[in-house]
Amino acid sequence: MTTVATNATDRPLARVSRTARAMLRPAELYLLFLVLLIVAGPWVAPFSAYDFNASASLLGPSWVHPFGTDEFGRDILSRVLVGARPTLLPAFAAATLGIAAGTVTGLVCGLFGGRVDELIMRSMDILLSFPALILAMLIVTMMGSSIVNLVLAMSLIFWPRSARLIRSAALEIGKREFIEACRARGESLGFILFREMLPNLRSVVIIDLALRSSYAILLSASLAYLGMGAQTPTPAWGLMVKEGQQFIQFAPWLTVFPCLVVAVIATGTVLIGESVRQRFAISTRLAR
Amino acid sequence: MPLWLLITRRIAVMVISLFFVALLTFLIVNVLPGDVATAILGDTATPDQVAALRGSLGLDQPVLLRFMKWFFDLLQGDFGTSLTFNRPVGPMIAGRLLNSATLALICMIVVIPVSILFGAIAAVKQGSLLDRAITGLTTFLFGMPEYVLALGAMLIFAIWLQWLPGAAMINPGESLFLHLDTLVLPVLVISLGGATYIIQMTRASMIDVLASPYVRTALLKGIPRWQVILKHALPNAMLPTLVEIGLSFGALLGGLVIIETIFNFAGIGQLMVMAVQSRDVPVLQACVLVIAAAYSLGSLLADIASMLLNPKLRN
Amino acid sequence: MIPQRHEIRQAGVENAVLAIENLSITYGKGSEAVHAVRGVTLSIAPGEAYGLIGESGSGKSTVAFSCMGHVAGGEIETGSIKLKGENLLRLSPAGWQSVRGNRVAMVYQDPMNALNPAFKLGAQVAEALIRHRNMTRKDALARAVELFRQVRLPDPENLAQRYPHQISGGQQQRVVIAMAIACEAELLIMDEPTTGLDITTEAHILDLIADLRKRLGMAILFISHNLRVVAQVCDRVGVLYAGQMVEEGPASEVLRRARHPYTMGLNNSLLPIDGAVKRLNPIPGSLPDLRNVPGGCIFAARCAYATPQCKDAVPAIQVVGSRHVSRCIFNEILPLAERAAETRKRFGPEESVPPQLSVVDLDFSYARPSLALPFLNRKEQSKALDRVTLAIRPGETLGIVGESGSGKSTLARCIAGLRAPTGGSVRMEGQRLEPLAGQRSRDARKRVQIVFQNPDSALNPMRTVGEIVSRPIGLYGNASGPEVAKRTAELLEMVNLSERYLTRFPRELSGGEKQRVNIARALAADPDIIICDEPTSALDISVQAAVLNTLIDLRAKRGVAYIFITHDLGVVRYIADRVAVMYSGSVLETGPVREVFANPGHAYTEMLLSAMPRGERHARHAPEEIVSRARPVQGQGCPFADRCLRYLGQECDAVTPPLRLGRNGHMVSCHIPLRT
Repeated sequence: MTTVATNATDRPLARVSRTARAMLRPAELYLLFLVLLIVAGPWVAPFSAYDFNASASLLGPSWVHPFGTDEFGRDILSRVLVGARPTLLPAFAAATLGIAAGTVTGLVCGLFGGRVDELIMRSMDILLSFPALILAMLIVTMMGSSIVNLVLAMSLIFWPRSARLIRSAALEIGKREFIEACRARGESLGFILFREMLPNLRSVVIIDLALRSSYAILLSASLAYLGMGAQTPTPAWGLMVKEGQQFIQFAPWLTVFPCLVVAVIATGTVLIGESVRQRFAISTRLAR
Repeated sequence: MPLWLLITRRIAVMVISLFFVALLTFLIVNVLPGDVATAILGDTATPDQVAALRGSLGLDQPVLLRFMKWFFDLLQGDFGTSLTFNRPVGPMIAGRLLNSATLALICMIVVIPVSILFGAIAAVKQGSLLDRAITGLTTFLFGMPEYVLALGAMLIFAIWLQWLPGAAMINPGESLFLHLDTLVLPVLVISLGGATYIIQMTRASMIDVLASPYVRTALLKGIPRWQVILKHALPNAMLPTLVEIGLSFGALLGGLVIIETIFNFAGIGQLMVMAVQSRDVPVLQACVLVIAAAYSLGSLLADIASMLLNPKLRN
Repeated sequence: MIPQRHEIRQAGVENAVLAIENLSITYGKGSEAVHAVRGVTLSIAPGEAYGLIGESGSGKSTVAFSCMGHVAGGEIETGSIKLKGENLLRLSPAGWQSVRGNRVAMVYQDPMNALNPAFKLGAQVAEALIRHRNMTRKDALARAVELFRQVRLPDPENLAQRYPHQISGGQQQRVVIAMAIACEAELLIMDEPTTGLDITTEAHILDLIADLRKRLGMAILFISHNLRVVAQVCDRVGVLYAGQMVEEGPASEVLRRARHPYTMGLNNSLLPIDGAVKRLNPIPGSLPDLRNVPGGCIFAARCAYATPQCKDAVPAIQVVGSRHVSRCIFNEILPLAERAAETRKRFGPEESVPPQLSVVDLDFSYARPSLALPFLNRKEQSKALDRVTLAIRPGETLGIVGESGSGKSTLARCIAGLRAPTGGSVRMEGQRLEPLAGQRSRDARKRVQIVFQNPDSALNPMRTVGEIVSRPIGLYGNASGPEVAKRTAELLEMVNLSERYLTRFPRELSGGEKQRVNIARALAADPDIIICDEPTSALDISVQAAVLNTLIDLRAKRGVAYIFITHDLGVVRYIADRVAVMYSGSVLETGPVREVFANPGHAYTEMLLSAMPRGERHARHAPEEIVSRARPVQGQGCPFADRCLRYLGQECDAVTPPLRLGRNGHMVSCHIPLRT
């Protein structure tokens, strides 16, 4: 009705890159915090995360040990700080890997359409017929519990989900007349894919990365809790919860603090991802 | 295309995809680097031990042949023999499946109406304090791993307040309903996790529908707002939401694995974790298949329901 | 000399059905606030049809919805809206509920979305009756069926049990109209009720509206961007520009003797009814920023007659005739609208000139065999093109006209090599071209270019205008860097865009500017033929006129041939030398424009011509409606047989009609011989 109203709904993808920059500011700050945690965590840890100290076993929170100590006398705070790496790095690695694979798959499906698209998406559907956690558990168990296998398994989870999102965005762009104009001009496939389509998908990929990372942290923490991936004595947060759980009755701090840290980090990432998503009005269903 | 044909097609798609699910499960177990024998014996086993086990498991036969045998056994309900208990896997699973199904069903019955209600309210009052509270809470809960919720609930209600039992010591086969109090915490935790998703979905699709021209038409016909919301908006918003509910079933089943372990609930998820820990590959394989099948069934039901409700498919 | 305000008031304001006084509506707050409607005053007498016209952004829909108390996201700042003397703006929510659908009812643009997809049609109409007339459900449903009969819907009993998606767009609009007249409202608001409908459907809906007016005598507020449609339906019209009423008067007066430069500009942008090839005279510039409205006359910046005096103060309303007012202080010295001279003679190459591009027996059908479960998939085949044969000579403009679903866009895509036809061929100078552009030679691709319908989606949002326009130069020519830059600037100049646009992104351009960039990109390849696929249908009429002028200038300068695809017969008659009429994938009639428009040979062409709005009250009578006859066998005989007014019988259903030849290459596909 008014000029402003039409502009707002006009070509959402075109407007994304400009708004994305403004939107990403809180996200960038948060990301900086995570990077600091990963890089500097072990340095700022007041105690060793691994060395036993029989005299300090199962101490409650105090000024010296704000998060208390575990049954071997290890400082929980130090373990949490050191544990950022084995928890977060696999998550980000898996998200990145899965999205990279998903972007290529989605682009190919979106551009070719037809049978290629159908064949690939049906295969993706088979991967999607497993609940995420179950498939990851199966793969890690069969390939052996290691960080590398954990990352591979998780990226296999993200791949089809990401491919579906990118594909639908690519299909939408592929239908635009400027792509038809390219075809009519006889542009090469590479030009159409990477010079015309990919720049328009950049924002979708950023959003996907934001949302997928938050889910990756959740998944990584859940798998660690089930004993997948990092092994004792690595202080992965999920693993710490699992190990501390047996003392939950009389030493709840062993469980509570790692749980709180996981909750805070995961929720923070979800909030960032959600705000980015809402800004670009990408359907929640596609994003997951 | 007539409705019955669509439904038949959807069922056929499910059957075919179940076959591929079985195939993929089999391939992951048998073809991925790291073989079954090593997985069973652990990384410390000697090559001789591994070779011996491979022989006794028939792993030296061609993969295709093994798959065919395994698959036809599967069709006859034979899931193989548990390595740790040396018993057929089928009956082991059956009782636990019933427990898990009951738990899941109770959760769905609690979650669906409540979530739809909250989602719809948040959408109708979009931007209000109530909406912000609901969306804030769901986003917060959405970021929580299940075990954090579960341990938190256990700590508060079972350990500190001592209102409810922290563990459900039910024997497989025993009726769940004799131990209703043990169900409260698992149901609460699973529902909280599941509700977040459905609330977000309902809210999103309700907001879309409320902004649609036909809702405007109804309002400008002079129909009171609440009536427009109930009669015109909600049924249309339910269509996409139903499909989402089917999809959220997958997350619920994944969550079941963790929740059952924490609350010591004798269900299929707990069995799966046990199988992982004891490297009982046949049991693990069976659990994965059953859970994937349950997931497929859930989304099938949701899809059929939305097809039946969709006027565009009616003639 | 300047009349006082009270003099302007029309007689009968006191008993007006609707009286809007000094209405101002704003969207948003603070410096971002958009003043969408500013001080609009109008009144509608009992039984009167009042037309509100304006281009996009004029605020006309906002005015319409404010009469229903529905200004989503906006705020009514001042003014009153009185319905039979009762100020609606003071109503409580409950008060509004008893007005809406009862005393004021509305017909919407886009009927498909205005109807609830999950409700049966009968129930949707009955709902208002149950609410406002306290009818029982059974009575209300019976009345709904009766209303469906009144709006001339076929088989009303059966239709009441159906869902919106099961009926056609025209039928959906009839249902919406039935809903609006259900409670015999005092005022009917129609918001672009025929926009988006096919021209024959539009004619029928307009006929229905005229008929209902005669029988029910309600007052109508008719919103439209189409001056001729408004003039045909309404007694009086008001012209909105940038939220302000600039002229108001009897419909025929405003259309013929406009007394405000903006209205004159709109009139000069209209395509001539008589088929004269006179140059259009569009309005330069674009709508002012409604967040920051300049002082003085709001149109001054775009006005050819403006003087510094115009910018001093907002001009008061001036009486310029009987019940005719204008907001222009120079209304007395404005010339009467007149058009420039003829642009060029119709171009009619000799029959002997060999065609440059021809399409021979082209077939295209959509079939989507699915990979999964072929056994459960019924192959749904539909023919989008059925043995289409056409030819275009060098420098000629061939218009292809047809309603939605006629296959005209598919034809464009087949010629451009974007779809592979399922049969037949596209030939360039007699030589068969490969079906897909990628397989064609570089030269063949260069010679045929395409301009798309939707200016928004035809330009890559991530590229600058310069990049977009220069790409084909680099691709087809062997030009060096500086040469490319020079050519790009030349091309922009050719489509009347300055060099400043080189670095702009598409989002910074208006619709008309985007379409110019599209044209420049097509020209950059230095083609022989440009396919224009509805290039002006997404544009406002004044912008359309400017784009058409550009296309005509280019044709004169470059000798390029156009294949001009459109649903608008007026555009075809204006720009084309020859025309092909398509229906349901087949060409029913082709020939020189003059010949076809003067002496249509096919019943369908005749139907289209009589459906064209002429801008006069009661001038158009939609051809008698045919409630589609059942076809005995699908895909046989004449595609138009089921709607044809000259239906002969079984012959038409079963036998493919022969080609009848007339003068100058006039060809008609019909069982009835051509009259000569």
